[in-house]
Amino acid sequence: MKPGDVAVVALAAAVVAASWVIFWGPAAAGERAHIVVTGGESLDLSLAGDRDLEVEGLIGTSVIRIRDGRVRFVDSPCVARYCVHAGWLESAGDVAACLPNGVVVEVTGRRESYDALSF
Amino acid sequence: MHSASEPADPDRLVAGFAALAIAIHILEAAFPSPLPGVKPGLANVVTVVVLVRYGWSTAAWVAGLRVLAGSLLLGTFLSPTFVMSASGAAAALAVLGLAWALAGSHLGAVGYSVLAALAHMGTQVAVARALFIPHDAILKLLPFLLTAAWVFGIVSGVIAASVLDILARRADRGEATP
Repeated sequence: MKPGDVAVVALAAAVVAASWVIFWGPAAAGERAHIVVTGGESLDLSLAGDRDLEVEGLIGTSVIRIRDGRVRFVDSPCVARYCVHAGWLESAGDVAACLPNGVVVEVTGRRESYDALSF
Repeated sequence: MHSASEPADPDRLVAGFAALAIAIHILEAAFPSPLPGVKPGLANVVTVVVLVRYGWSTAAWVAGLRVLAGSLLLGTFLSPTFVMSASGAAAALAVLGLAWALAGSHLGAVGYSVLAALAHMGTQVAVARALFIPHDAILKLLPFLLTAAWVFGIVSGVIAASVLDILARRADRGEATP
């Protein structure tokens, strides 16, 4: 290998490392809960105040809880309850959805970090 | 192939190397991949060997023909796969051209190979984000894919370097080389 090769390989390693920091670095704390209901209006609530929320969806009522700057589904009329099992959402970009009921909860923050999708 | 004494016909050279690259391209397409989008990119070896031995324009012909003929043979011509493949190859060639103009022979096979691999991968993800999966979640894959590109870029660079070494030694002994 020539010195130029070593320099290029090292530089490329730095670029790769930077991509890890940029795309998998610490997520920004969430500030607001954005709740979208199919066929209904969407809500934008602060995570600062604790509250329970009943949202009328396509097949029934979803219960959404906001506590200590986090938000989660507590109950939903769907069968598998993936939305409830998604647990607490706290970082900007976290999403939970009850597709049968058409309710989506997304946490937003000052800096939108990239969210991961899980099913 | 032809003997070392007779001057190499550039068209024949391009055709020979392109055929080699297409064969590798198609062989590789048959291998399963642990992560979508990750493959060794061994056809890159041919591009780098041609670049170092014959210069950028010959390498551009070889890589261009590989993408075109490879997609026709695999049945992906003008499909999203082809768009990704072509844009990746175009970006890799652009970066190689820039590096060739700036560094020339100060850079060896490994350096060119790593540059091409990263440009190829980065552009493919950008194109996928812009055209096919318009959501930022796909960018979460970028570190994994770039890491793979870095590793495979070094591997194919080392292979290209040893091919170039063998060709140079053969030429020294007066044996036939392409």
